Amino acid sequence: MPLKVDLRSRAASPAVTQTINQPFRPLPYVLLLASLAFIFIIEFYPFINGVSFSFHKGSLLSTGAFVGLGNYLRLFNSPSFYNSLWFSFIFAFFNVLVSYVLGLALALFLDPDFPGRGFCRVALLVPWIVPAVVSIVSWKWLIADKGGLVNVILGSFGAGPIYFLSQSGWAMVAVIVIKIWRSFPFMMLSLLAALQVIDKTYYEAARIDGANRWQMFWRITLPHIKNISIIQAILMIIWSINDFETPFLLTQGGPSNATENLILLSYRYTFGRNDVGLGSAVAILTLILLMVLSTIMMRQQAKSA
Amino acid sequence: MKPNRKWLLLFLGLVIVLIVDFPIITVILNSFRTTETIVSSHSILPTEPTLANYLFINTRTHFWTFLLNSMIVAFTSSALAIVLAALAGFAMSRYRARILGGYNQALLIVQMFPLILAIIPLFIFFRNLDMVNNFIPVIMVYTVTQLPFATWMLRSYFDSIPRELDEAATVDGCSPLRAFVQIILPLTVPGLVAVAIFSFLFSYNEFFISSVFLRDENRMTMPVGIQSFMQQYSTDWGSLMASATLGMVPTLILFFCIQKYMVAGATAGAVKG
Repeated sequence: MPLKVDLRSRAASPAVTQTINQPFRPLPYVLLLASLAFIFIIEFYPFINGVSFSFHKGSLLSTGAFVGLGNYLRLFNSPSFYNSLWFSFIFAFFNVLVSYVLGLALALFLDPDFPGRGFCRVALLVPWIVPAVVSIVSWKWLIADKGGLVNVILGSFGAGPIYFLSQSGWAMVAVIVIKIWRSFPFMMLSLLAALQVIDKTYYEAARIDGANRWQMFWRITLPHIKNISIIQAILMIIWSINDFETPFLLTQGGPSNATENLILLSYRYTFGRNDVGLGSAVAILTLILLMVLSTIMMRQQAKSA
Repeated sequence: MKPNRKWLLLFLGLVIVLIVDFPIITVILNSFRTTETIVSSHSILPTEPTLANYLFINTRTHFWTFLLNSMIVAFTSSALAIVLAALAGFAMSRYRARILGGYNQALLIVQMFPLILAIIPLFIFFRNLDMVNNFIPVIMVYTVTQLPFATWMLRSYFDSIPRELDEAATVDGCSPLRAFVQIILPLTVPGLVAVAIFSFLFSYNEFFISSVFLRDENRMTMPVGIQSFMQQYSTDWGSLMASATLGMVPTLILFFCIQKYMVAGATAGAVKG
């Protein structure tokens, strides 16, 4: 990517060595001041508080006694926690896997020029760009028990109805499918960007050497999009784990908590059960999980640079 | 490419678009049908289009308040984010200092931070200040969540402006900050606008943070308002579809304005860091 080249060439440019040798310059610090203040108030200060909450009993109204690792131990003994950890995992897994396959297929489809390609490209991004609440309204009707289009169609074949939102298994499928529908356009877009910077002469050379399309895909296309694929995949795992809107708006975590991910669990403990200690502990564990994933991502980025 | 193949690809493309956008198309079509026909009729097209749902929304709900609230919150937070990100992006583009590397790491953490962790203490904090149902906490959280993306994008725009330009101005006695405001910023206006619209879209669409802080009907943003409709009128599909259609109009308009910047935006988070 050109951006990365910029980063490295700047480090080596003579202008930069000059600035390093110069005495202390306050300007960069001043420029960051406002942003740092915001990050401090909105993320750092709450983070410290959250760590402290997770070691205390407490409600939304007041913080109670210090319980050490009590909240964490309660979580490790609670089936709800493992249930939501499991759902977060399969939610992220299927979302990344299917979004990647769909995204790559559509990116390959949109890479060569054809009339109307620009329109298709923009139109396929729509599921990604509309507000979550709008997509959920539309899907809720499509899969509604009575009068929903899917069940009307199933009914005309004599099948169904499927109660998508009241059966655990189907509710999980519904939440995951809708999440995939909302995420694959982003994958498509980033892969398309990566495909378009591949030097077309590679393909010409391969064709002269008698390579077929399949070989060209494996030997030229895939190696060129490998780095961006890994990075976007990890980014998408992080976003899936952090997703609140899709499960909350569709099922509110139900039926019987089948579609409750870690974020919804933390939300329910905090705002539903008014147990801030337990809710914060879930959030901290989620953060740790995400830190591990991000570290892997940064390693990968460092390797690919 | 043979001409036949071209048209085949176009046809295939349109079919894929129709399938993928089908849920959105049904929302728009259904918004012009009454709830009874939506539930009973087996056709998707509105045979007797009606504006009844829109009239209901207009007269019987707070929809326009929700929309106005969303506009206020989204506009303020994207304006704030763009100013903060421009300053930080300028520092990252033109200077080398240890703090800048640290700041970049901070942005990465902000990008992956589970918001629920911030929301719990912030909710308690702002409730003690009697600021629930106030836009300020929401605007501040939105601003911060947009900082990583906006800063990385703007930094790459500034990187694309040759250093010689502002260095020449500095040699002529212009201060670095003035060189930034008077020389670099005017050259990056299209990029600034694109990033501002991205930020606006994010805040306008966002549900989670708003739903925690904005609980009073007069303060709700559009997504929170539609969700409250979902609970109140759970079977009144007509009104729900009409509010969803109206709610996505601003999103779609802004999206079509910046769609050509989308490719750069989609990779900004991944390439930087």
